[in-house]
Amino acid sequence: MMRTATPIIKAKMAAARRHFCFHLSLLLFIVLAAACSTYSRSDLSVVSDTLLADEDERMLWQKSEQEQLALESNGCIYSDPELEDYLNKVVARLWPQSAAPDLVIRVKVIRNAYLNAFAYPNGMIYIHTGLLARMDSEDQLAAVLAHEIIHCTRRHALRAFRAYRNQPAVLSAVQQTLLQNRGLQDMARYLGITGTMAAVSGYVRELEVEADRLGIELMTAAGYNPKKARFLFDHMIAEIEQEGLEEPFFFGSHPGVRQRLEHLQNLPDPVYLYTRPAIKNREMFLANLGQVLSDNVALDIRLGRFLSARRGVEKLLQIKPVDSRAYFLRGEIFRQEGQAGDIPNALESYDRAITLDPNYAAAHKAIGLIHYKQGHHALAKKFFESCLQLSPDAPDKDYIQGYLKQCSLSEEG
Amino acid sequence: MKTVFRIILLFVVLAGCLACAHTGGFSKPASYSFTIDIPEGWRKIDNNRYLFVTKESPFLQFIMVQNRPISQSFRNTKKKMQNGMLPEEAAQIIIDELASDQNLVNLRILSNTPATIKEYDGFKILYTYSDTEGRTYKTLYYGFIKEDTFFNLRFRAVDQIYFQRDVATFRSILNSFQIIKAKAA
Repeated sequence: MMRTATPIIKAKMAAARRHFCFHLSLLLFIVLAAACSTYSRSDLSVVSDTLLADEDERMLWQKSEQEQLALESNGCIYSDPELEDYLNKVVARLWPQSAAPDLVIRVKVIRNAYLNAFAYPNGMIYIHTGLLARMDSEDQLAAVLAHEIIHCTRRHALRAFRAYRNQPAVLSAVQQTLLQNRGLQDMARYLGITGTMAAVSGYVRELEVEADRLGIELMTAAGYNPKKARFLFDHMIAEIEQEGLEEPFFFGSHPGVRQRLEHLQNLPDPVYLYTRPAIKNREMFLANLGQVLSDNVALDIRLGRFLSARRGVEKLLQIKPVDSRAYFLRGEIFRQEGQAGDIPNALESYDRAITLDPNYAAAHKAIGLIHYKQGHHALAKKFFESCLQLSPDAPDKDYIQGYLKQCSLSEEG
Repeated sequence: MKTVFRIILLFVVLAGCLACAHTGGFSKPASYSFTIDIPEGWRKIDNNRYLFVTKESPFLQFIMVQNRPISQSFRNTKKKMQNGMLPEEAAQIIIDELASDQNLVNLRILSNTPATIKEYDGFKILYTYSDTEGRTYKTLYYGFIKEDTFFNLRFRAVDQIYFQRDVATFRSILNSFQIIKAKAA
């Protein structure tokens, strides 16, 4: 179909071109700087006292910090200091700070239902609520974090950029992935080029294999069980296949997860590293992850990914069997998905939420809405009134007052 | 250097493609269309997906009117509009769509209230957001469903000054809005 570019589209095109050209220029500058330097050391692979000795690595870190600043200022960070503290303790167990004092590994959580984790070269790891919500144990968390830590400690971003000087495979991979998925195009805008490579396309296969292999060693040496980590990728593959999820990120893409699983299955068990007692703190893991799981169910509902939301809420109810919000979210899934026969399930879930928390105004309103739509106006009125009593300044009070007016008119009629 | 230039070219072409790909997938055309009166001094930019008017520049302000089939998918959320849906339910889908959009930074829903557009029950959402380059926008979004068609009229301005100045024009467009039967494709 022939399309005519409107002025706004042209303006957007120009802005997008400027944005990408800026990033590309910077990337080329890094590459050229690398080409011009007298650097000739062959071993780039480990953190050592030469960290940040070279101009291109310093620029890469600087660029990473700029991208992180932009990323964190867009309101996507999931603020939960206790969770962050817990995640950083797991990181410290995997990679003690004394191992490389100049490379501080930190973790932050991004409020995003897509499955992903990625690391910037300066040691900043971001993990999505969507990926955390799929995990069942600290071993699985350790597997993902260890993989990302290895990307940092083995300076994969730097190696990828230097490899690009002679072979543009890395950038081509980003381009190919971008061209295949419209959702990615947005990501590239807010993650920046360094973040996009880390989060979206992953690194070249050789570096990902290294991250898998050394990541397993790292987690095993810290006392985690690499065999348990495999279940995470098993579950992810099953979910991606069953639900036909089209995810934009490396950790959520079918090939990405399949590759992780194959590596974990094929790599020899590093028995020589079983020197520490096994870490068994499932309760602590679940206690820290409960809120994320709940918030991520809400994100899945927002995205209309009801099957994922349903899995999430059932898991949440196993962890928190008397959580009123979990029942409310369960009700929301049934009500909003609107499948035949779901309404009684929705009502039962909302009822349970109210039993657990009689002041749950949103659950009162949801029951009111169901009765209202079914034409049971007297019942609807009762629940709308109780909702407004509980929450007189609710942001949706204008809608509720409108429903109440209709209910009254119906009673008069 | 040839490779470098090829990659620059690819990125520029790609950037162009990115900007063009900003709407959900198409389904069958909507049954109803609309007319509006365009105020003097405003430019109309028409295409087959929506009607778009601006005074100075789309970056400063625009008014957009759209009739889309309810079966048409959104870009971010998989939720779909349905005939018979309450206006609040339709508003929630729009909010979910906005909240899932990675391009809208620091989205704030200032209000979401019922509204009557002509004789149709609908909704009105007022929200602000920033773009990835830091500009802040304020948008007033009206919407309602008529049978298989979702109508929406929105006014976006780059900051409070433009918003205050041009919101009256948007209201005049809203008042002139009329539904007509869509022409057969």
